[in-house]
Amino acid sequence: MSVTPNPLRSGLEGDRTGDACAVVIFGASGDLTKRKLMPALYNLAISRVLPGSFAVVGVSRKPLANEAFRGEMREGVSTFSRRKPIDGTLWGDFEKGISYAPGEFGDPATYEGLRTHLEAVDKERGTRGNRLFYLAVPPSEFGPILRGLRQAGLVSDSAEGPWTRVVVEKPFGHDLPSARGLNDMIAATFREEQVFRIDHYLGKETVQNLLVFRFANSLFEPLWNREHVDHVQITVAEEIGVEGRGKFYEQTGVTKDIVENHLMQLLCLTAMEPPISLSADAVRDEKVKVLRSLRPMERRVVAENVVRGQYGRGFVRADEVPSYREEPDVAKDSRVDTYVAMKVKVDNWRWGGVPFYIRAGKRMARRVTEIAVTFKQVPHTLFRSPDGGITPNVLAVRVQPDEGIALRFISKEPGQHTILRDVAMDFRYGSSFGSNTPEAYERLLLDAMRGDATLFTRRDEVEEQWAWMDHVFDAWRASGVTPPPVYPSGSWGPEAADDLLAKDGRRWRKP
Amino acid sequence: MIGLSTPPMSSVLSIIEQRLRELWRSEPGQPARSRVCTMNLIVVTGSSDVADHYVTVVDEVTRGTPARAILVSMDPGAAENLLDGDVTAVGGDVATFSERVRLHASGGACARVGSAVEALLVPEIPTTLVWLGRVHVDDPLFIELAEYAERIVLDTDYTSLSSLLSLARWARADLRRPAIADLAWTRIAIWQELCARFFDDPHMREHASTISKLSIDQASETGARLGSEGALLIGWLATRLGWKIERLGGALRFKRPDGGKIVLTLRAIQRREGVAPLALAGIRFESTHDGKLAKGEIVRELASGAAVHAATPDADVLKWKLDVDLPAATEQVVRMGANKGGRLLERVLHRPGPDAALAEAVVIAEELNDDGVVCV
Repeated sequence: MSVTPNPLRSGLEGDRTGDACAVVIFGASGDLTKRKLMPALYNLAISRVLPGSFAVVGVSRKPLANEAFRGEMREGVSTFSRRKPIDGTLWGDFEKGISYAPGEFGDPATYEGLRTHLEAVDKERGTRGNRLFYLAVPPSEFGPILRGLRQAGLVSDSAEGPWTRVVVEKPFGHDLPSARGLNDMIAATFREEQVFRIDHYLGKETVQNLLVFRFANSLFEPLWNREHVDHVQITVAEEIGVEGRGKFYEQTGVTKDIVENHLMQLLCLTAMEPPISLSADAVRDEKVKVLRSLRPMERRVVAENVVRGQYGRGFVRADEVPSYREEPDVAKDSRVDTYVAMKVKVDNWRWGGVPFYIRAGKRMARRVTEIAVTFKQVPHTLFRSPDGGITPNVLAVRVQPDEGIALRFISKEPGQHTILRDVAMDFRYGSSFGSNTPEAYERLLLDAMRGDATLFTRRDEVEEQWAWMDHVFDAWRASGVTPPPVYPSGSWGPEAADDLLAKDGRRWRKP
Repeated sequence: MIGLSTPPMSSVLSIIEQRLRELWRSEPGQPARSRVCTMNLIVVTGSSDVADHYVTVVDEVTRGTPARAILVSMDPGAAENLLDGDVTAVGGDVATFSERVRLHASGGACARVGSAVEALLVPEIPTTLVWLGRVHVDDPLFIELAEYAERIVLDTDYTSLSSLLSLARWARADLRRPAIADLAWTRIAIWQELCARFFDDPHMREHASTISKLSIDQASETGARLGSEGALLIGWLATRLGWKIERLGGALRFKRPDGGKIVLTLRAIQRREGVAPLALAGIRFESTHDGKLAKGEIVRELASGAAVHAATPDADVLKWKLDVDLPAATEQVVRMGANKGGRLLERVLHRPGPDAALAEAVVIAEELNDDGVVCV
């Protein structure tokens, strides 16, 4: 069907609303729905970007009536929404579109019932047969759900008419074969254009701003290469431990939980070439090129380029905290990593010879995620500084908390003598634009409703990430996975991580 | 608070600059003060009273958007040539967010206001000029201040559509001139969004070109003129949908591109306390395509926002409804958002600069205005 554009949208500024649709959440009684998804949808309603024809259908094993489910969701929104208190009038309208369809994911009757339920929703809410299936469930549940949807005829494969899309949460596998298996399973039901793999880091304002910052300012891009950049440090540090997820962490570790997805995505956005446009595929094509440019970590070099660690007891924000091995559901002799640092090389024209030092850890001194680009020293020092040298310029992009960008440079202290001092030019989102920025899930859910996949991970990205990471896991397996060195909670990681940079004559930042 | 009235004029500015520096100076032993400044905000008013009233609006905006705000008031008819000023830190008990400078010129000093403002602008950041009053594009002060501005904001609810029209023409004449924004236009953004929503569904798309009835409700007495909000919304619909104005016996009518006529009805709805005079209160349309009748309406529940915690009366509820060949009409409830003072100006500041739709809509809006269209 050829459709003319809506004439009233022409030149209209502001956010376009999502398409008329029903969002169907599998795992609706879980924490993610209550803490993130429903508050995000409610905030989209408050922001007036939900379409008039909209519905949310929760699917889960838990037997619940519509009213009880709505009550649970209201409680979740009241507690976790960034806007408080809840607006009774708007919630009243929003909840009219919320309903619940209980059922076992492996039972075909669940999907027959869901189809009837959605047909009724279409009639009542005008959702026109458009469906956004959100799989807020572990990957082990993907198979039965996808099969059930397909067999019940709930997936439209047509590029025209009502659309069907699926959003899947990480982890996207635990190694390359499992990621391929998962992708194959999804591909058996959905075309790649219908698949939205969520990495909530990509929904963060600062991460999106990285593209704007790099490609809308002529100042930085000429310096963004091996001629001017000495090295790049990317840090994802958390203060929290495994927070009751010991069982999950014993299966994953920080490398699979953080590095393989969030950190690799930050690295891609930092290192990628300018895309030809901001279309989903143009941006993702460039990210894939970065992943393909990563120098493979061969077994013999893993030990000298990768440092693992596991948190011991210590103090975080003045509270004494237990070691990882003392956490519930964690083996007393666990060899799982809660910290990892790597020296990564990007073998392409722009970055040849520039090391990317990346690290992620739990129970670190401070919660911070940042990308820090350290520029080369001046070629000749004219000034004598009391500490014997001039520190290099650093451009730090803070993803969280206090999202912003800071540039460190050298200035003269006022006075008769030439005394050099580091000063920082600091741009903070909260200070400049107010602090009520949307949550990552709001942006990502709206994009999925609009069919814009730019901030979602494509199949080949996921598989390239795993392909590179598998070299590291392979080396660890081959060497028998020795116990990782223990670092005190509340520190910046094990000493070996400092040595990783010290041997290159560099130091980790303490952001 | 300082008050200055010392000639020569430059000494007034020197003292203001000194006071501005002092706002950010740290005392020995005290923590260093850091400063963020994202824009210059110049507000020009005709009188001190209006400037006094606008201080709260400016402070509300600059608490969220760090800025140097310069409020100018003038009394050109005064006998004495005087330039007064004061400087205030805008912020809370422990932090300063912005600077507010008040300038009042009287008599011959009014001619020097442009020069004074220029001296006080923070360089390298965007400048917005808010002109509260009738705009004359040949006014030397306007010309001088517009030179520094990237954006000029006025409010046709309180000036006139002809001011906006002449300003839009002036801006169009030279691409280097600043972008024009209107607070009344920003107030109707939510109405535009909801109107567009009627035709987002591909099945509704053709109905947009077959609208046969359009009704606008306005919060006013019967017989009141059509306000800026209503006039701009009709102007916007007409330009987006390709409607042409035609007259029959002096009466204004709209004609669709396919030759069909649009019956336009303007209704007065009793205004409630807290709702601005001539505010838009509702819109309804009817269209028929392929034999299917579509009816859409957006109704403002006047003063419903006053009942909501932390909202202003203008944060009223809008009820959106579309009834077209479905078992049930599609309905949605949204809140307009606080339209008062600071929040509205803040929204204007965050909108994209040049707005071609405004420039087009105002032409038709002014024709409605010229025709003396009234609500019944």
